[in-house]
Amino acid sequence: MTADALDPLIHAPARLQIVATLAALPDGDALSFTRLQDMIGLTPGNLITHLRKLQDADYLTSEKTGNGPASRTSVALTHRGRAALDTYTQTLRALLDGL
Amino acid sequence: MNRTYDTGTTETYEDEGGLDPREAARLLERTRREAERGLDFRSPWLTLLAAAVALVAFGAVWLSVRGQHPYKGPTPAGLVVLYALVLIRIASVVFAHRRATAGVTGRSVRRRNAEGAALAAALIAVYVVMAALVNAGASDSVVYGVYVGTATLIVLGTFWAARSAVREDWLQLGLSIAIVLVAAGSAFAGPRGVWLSNGVGLCIVLLAYSAAQAWKLRAPGSDA
Repeated sequence: MTADALDPLIHAPARLQIVATLAALPDGDALSFTRLQDMIGLTPGNLITHLRKLQDADYLTSEKTGNGPASRTSVALTHRGRAALDTYTQTLRALLDGL
Repeated sequence: MNRTYDTGTTETYEDEGGLDPREAARLLERTRREAERGLDFRSPWLTLLAAAVALVAFGAVWLSVRGQHPYKGPTPAGLVVLYALVLIRIASVVFAHRRATAGVTGRSVRRRNAEGAALAAALIAVYVVMAALVNAGASDSVVYGVYVGTATLIVLGTFWAARSAVREDWLQLGLSIAIVLVAAGSAFAGPRGVWLSNGVGLCIVLLAYSAAQAWKLRAPGSDA
């Protein structure tokens, strides 16, 4: 098995951090964009780029509440996203065991 | 599904650089642990503060009642120290909790609110029963000593034990059961000794829990 077996959507430093951070939330919870940014330390533009890729793959959902300056965006991992992280973790372990 | 990211920035940055599997495993583990720590308000330091609060608060009440013959109950000065320290404890937990859960929304927030309502009802019931005991003519040593010194802790401990069991949080379950046992055992120390027994017992239990928390946080691959 090679590193190619790892899900390329997760196997990038920023997206791995995003998915791992959101997976630490209990199922059914969401995290605000700003808190996620604080926890990971990415710039807003960088974070948006990676969130969009993950959302396109249905690994996470986002919800915007409020309008104008008071608006707030929250993101949450979907069941598909959690399953993808589980598979990624298992594949990573198998790869490391084989090294 | 609509995209809702709107921060007014146009900056974009790609991060597709290859990750070595070992590097990826380290990053995954580090991120997971940092996220769990950041989202959890509990910490060994907060527990150490709780241990000190328990010892000093119950100790102050014990000092205020140890020379009473017959037993009348905690003096106003003893109660002021007790409630001031309890308020400090509550404020420290609220501060840590708000900081840890900032930006978190969803099911767990609704569940916590419901749990708070249930706990408030249980604590109110403890004091309603206390009033009923006074009304029934129970002695000061029972009402203001053995009962109030143990019932509150037993209710709090039992509630937290049930909550921890549902979440499969075994360390918290152990702590909760230990608190219930300390409170129940302290009832045998009598109306004066119950305060000292509760204070020392809780302090020891909380110190042990703090050490366990610190050990879990340092242990590689821990889920603390």
